[in-house]
Amino acid sequence: MIRDPWLVRSLLACYPTGWRRQYGDEYAQLLCDMRVHRRPRLIVNSMRGAVQAQLIQGGRLISTRPPITTAVWATGLFTVAGIGFQKLAEDLTGVAGTVYTLVIAAAAIALLALVAVAAPTAVALLRGRDTGAWKFVAVPLVGAAAWYGVLRLVMAISHGHGTHPAASTTGVALVAVCGIAVVAATAWTAATVLRRTPADQPTRLRPVALVVVAAGMAVTTVLALIWGLRVQTSDPTVFHGDHGILATPFVPSWLAAVVLMAAATVLATMAGRRQLAAAH
Amino acid sequence: MVDELGRWAEPGLLVLASLADGDKHGYAITNDIAKQVGVTLGPGTLYAALNRLEERGLIEGLPTEGRRRPYRLTAAGAAELTAQAARMQQLATLSLGRLRMVPA
Repeated sequence: MIRDPWLVRSLLACYPTGWRRQYGDEYAQLLCDMRVHRRPRLIVNSMRGAVQAQLIQGGRLISTRPPITTAVWATGLFTVAGIGFQKLAEDLTGVAGTVYTLVIAAAAIALLALVAVAAPTAVALLRGRDTGAWKFVAVPLVGAAAWYGVLRLVMAISHGHGTHPAASTTGVALVAVCGIAVVAATAWTAATVLRRTPADQPTRLRPVALVVVAAGMAVTTVLALIWGLRVQTSDPTVFHGDHGILATPFVPSWLAAVVLMAAATVLATMAGRRQLAAAH
Repeated sequence: MVDELGRWAEPGLLVLASLADGDKHGYAITNDIAKQVGVTLGPGTLYAALNRLEERGLIEGLPTEGRRRPYRLTAAGAAELTAQAARMQQLATLSLGRLRMVPA
């Protein structure tokens, strides 16, 4: 078996799995033949090709990832963005009037639509159609328990310190990283169970629900954007306040949350489109 | 219908023109195009074109030789290349004819 240079393997890894399955060997050989390590322009070209394959071709012939898997990962990303937004906005809920409530409502609709997609699988699990899948249910539970343990530990260590000393900042970063890891593990678990457990799905449930997921995320993103703009106009002191680690750098935190929500919306839209195409 | 293949330097059209001369793998295609037309196709551009052409049935992959897979022009690919080349020839003839009419 030929072991390609590190650069060739890295460039190949940027392409989708299905693409690599179809073209991987010959593409790696081409990169070696072209001596890509000596030609930076070709490295850039390869990365551009990978982005194109991921974005344009990922949904059709090339990708073997089911739309529901993409939707679940999009929801994971959306959840992380949502938690960040909630932490940012928790002391400012009244500043932008009803917009905050509408953000919560739109996000809830998106998440409930995904729950609706998962419902037939949950019923199939309860009926014992895939006994091996039960072990996956432990992943989010153990993850949440571990996260809570980290939270308690961080609170104990940073007790008595102010908001911004290194101990508190490091503690919050640790809690955030653990939280993201738990969300990622939960998304992986959900995607795995949804893929492997045979369930009786009403024909139109998945396409309709995934469209609702994407629409809910899109509305949430727009409302989160409007919320920040309203806060900015109604109470400029927020930008110079000291509302905690997430809220103090207000504009970057707010924009990061909105950008993550937008990215999740794009992923969910791609999943919805593919699911609709598969239904026709 | 005029699509992206209608552009003379479109990678897909260059690949079709290269394969009109015989079956070739990726590296041979890039070398042939660079030598004949003076255009260097990057690996990402080449494989995006190969993928599009294969999807449209204009080329087909042959069994691999080592790790290199040769590609072949299909009958549909030959017809497409002929149609595009005829269009370009028509445009070239028109352009050159009109340029000759322009007083120096």
